[in-house]
Amino acid sequence: MTISTSASLRATFLAEWTRLTRRRTLWPALIAALVFAAAGAALVLAAAEPAARVPTDGMMPTLEELADPGGGTQVFRSAVAFAGTLLFALLCGVFALEFSRGTYRTMLFAQPRRVPLLVGRLAALLAFAAAGLACAELLMWLVARLLAGSFDVDAGAWISLDGIGSAAADYATVLVWVTGYATFALLLAMLLRSVPLTLAVGIAWAGPFEHLTGDAWSAGKEFFPGLLLEALGQGGTPDVSATRALLTLAAYSAAFLALSATAFARRDVTA
Amino acid sequence: MTTQAPVLTTHNLTKRYGGRTAVDGLTMELPRGVVAGFIGPNGAGKTTTMAMLLGLVRPTAGEGTVLGRSLSHPERYVSRVGALLEGPALWPSLTGHENLQVLARLGGHDPRRVPEVLRLVGLADRGGDRFGTYSLGMKQRLGIAAALLGEPELLILDEPTNGLDPAGMSDMRDLISRLAAEDRSVLVSSHLLGELEQVCDWLLIIEQGRLAYAGPAGEFATRSGAELVLFPAEQADLERLATVVANEGLAAERAGDHLVVPLGERDPRLAAATVNRAAANAGLLLAELRIDRPTLESTYLRMIEGEPA
Repeated sequence: MTISTSASLRATFLAEWTRLTRRRTLWPALIAALVFAAAGAALVLAAAEPAARVPTDGMMPTLEELADPGGGTQVFRSAVAFAGTLLFALLCGVFALEFSRGTYRTMLFAQPRRVPLLVGRLAALLAFAAAGLACAELLMWLVARLLAGSFDVDAGAWISLDGIGSAAADYATVLVWVTGYATFALLLAMLLRSVPLTLAVGIAWAGPFEHLTGDAWSAGKEFFPGLLLEALGQGGTPDVSATRALLTLAAYSAAFLALSATAFARRDVTA
Repeated sequence: MTTQAPVLTTHNLTKRYGGRTAVDGLTMELPRGVVAGFIGPNGAGKTTTMAMLLGLVRPTAGEGTVLGRSLSHPERYVSRVGALLEGPALWPSLTGHENLQVLARLGGHDPRRVPEVLRLVGLADRGGDRFGTYSLGMKQRLGIAAALLGEPELLILDEPTNGLDPAGMSDMRDLISRLAAEDRSVLVSSHLLGELEQVCDWLLIIEQGRLAYAGPAGEFATRSGAELVLFPAEQADLERLATVVANEGLAAERAGDHLVVPLGERDPRLAAATVNRAAANAGLLLAELRIDRPTLESTYLRMIEGEPA
């Protein structure tokens, strides 16, 4: 009996979803989201200053920006953007660990179609991230709304149609940002197949290498995936607009996924 | 054994890693319905062969079939094969039950089978514990449970008794026998030849990536023939005893304080009676007379040491 590609994808998605949505995963995730929401909102609000006192390319939103209809969810986007390296390291570890632990081998006994296995798992992880991000955004908006007065932020415009539109846009931006990091981490894990190696190469590449090269060669800011992800997280920078970052990252994500699938499909699984 | 099509075949199956050849033109067949021991020294290519049969490793050359399907399309047969390779690799933070549930969904099997397979491997009361807390024996059993989720026609088990205590080995042996009784074919590798001897009815022996023997286990073990071992009551009688044995048409080999008499095709009990009577007629008293029947291990060791088996 040959299982179709779509059935394999569905089975893989369901299996990964089952693994991710256990109570022992959900409760810690919810607690982490709560802590992150409270701490992130407080830090972003505390760091906000009047526009006249901050440089135009500052990473943190100004008091004026926070008073916009989308100010409540900009708190969310800004807080998440700071967790980029942590998220990337986490994803590198998650993907590479399956090789170190030998669980890809076990999964291939159950699901020998390698590309659907890889894509279905990534889809489940991103669906889980999408649900988690929606919760985090809502929580952070609520915490920011409660704290706004204490930090002299005028939150009067947050509850409006424009506010909802901005919330959706910020959510989509963060989701694309997470997807970009996920596909980048997946590619490194598929090529290197080792947790320490993937972490070392990933962090060295997205951290010092891209930043130093980007500082020396400004065009690098338009091409390096790590810098583009940072630019997207900040809603665009003077060097790269958010739209350009989004489009380039979409192309990168597709390429990373294709390369990951090719590497996984063609190489022997010996671990 | 039946006359049905073989459950797996390989023809010139080869795997090279750079300059090293792990499997070297392996050609073999496994009849349907047998429990086959897959034997060979460390590095002989057993695990690599199993990995190729399961689609984890691509052959460098050669071809083969599993359940009638080509090795180049593992997705066409792997759902009918259960496997445990290089030890059980599951998620340590998940319970035994959760691990099996994830794998059942992944393979498109009914997750309601999970309690049944847990019971089958004797883990029904530990299914709620995390895999990371299991002993090695329990992990092995959960690995077997995972292999059984899809009610496979063929089981491929690589060293399933690794790390098990004697009771665990006995349990595993019983489990394999029970699984084989359900009309399954089993290919099992192990270094514990005594264990394999008790459960296998077929043998595949490979050396340096090539097939050295394939056939019924019983025939292999008996191909070196039994031996008589004779201890005279008096050491001084050893030479005379050798002469008496030779007069009966048998070749005695001196081995320290006793004689060893290879019997070849002769009936061991009849030969023992003949030698005993001849010794008595010559006035020689035997302190010990026994028949050593060849075991799988002794025959195998002779074979890999290059002696005629």
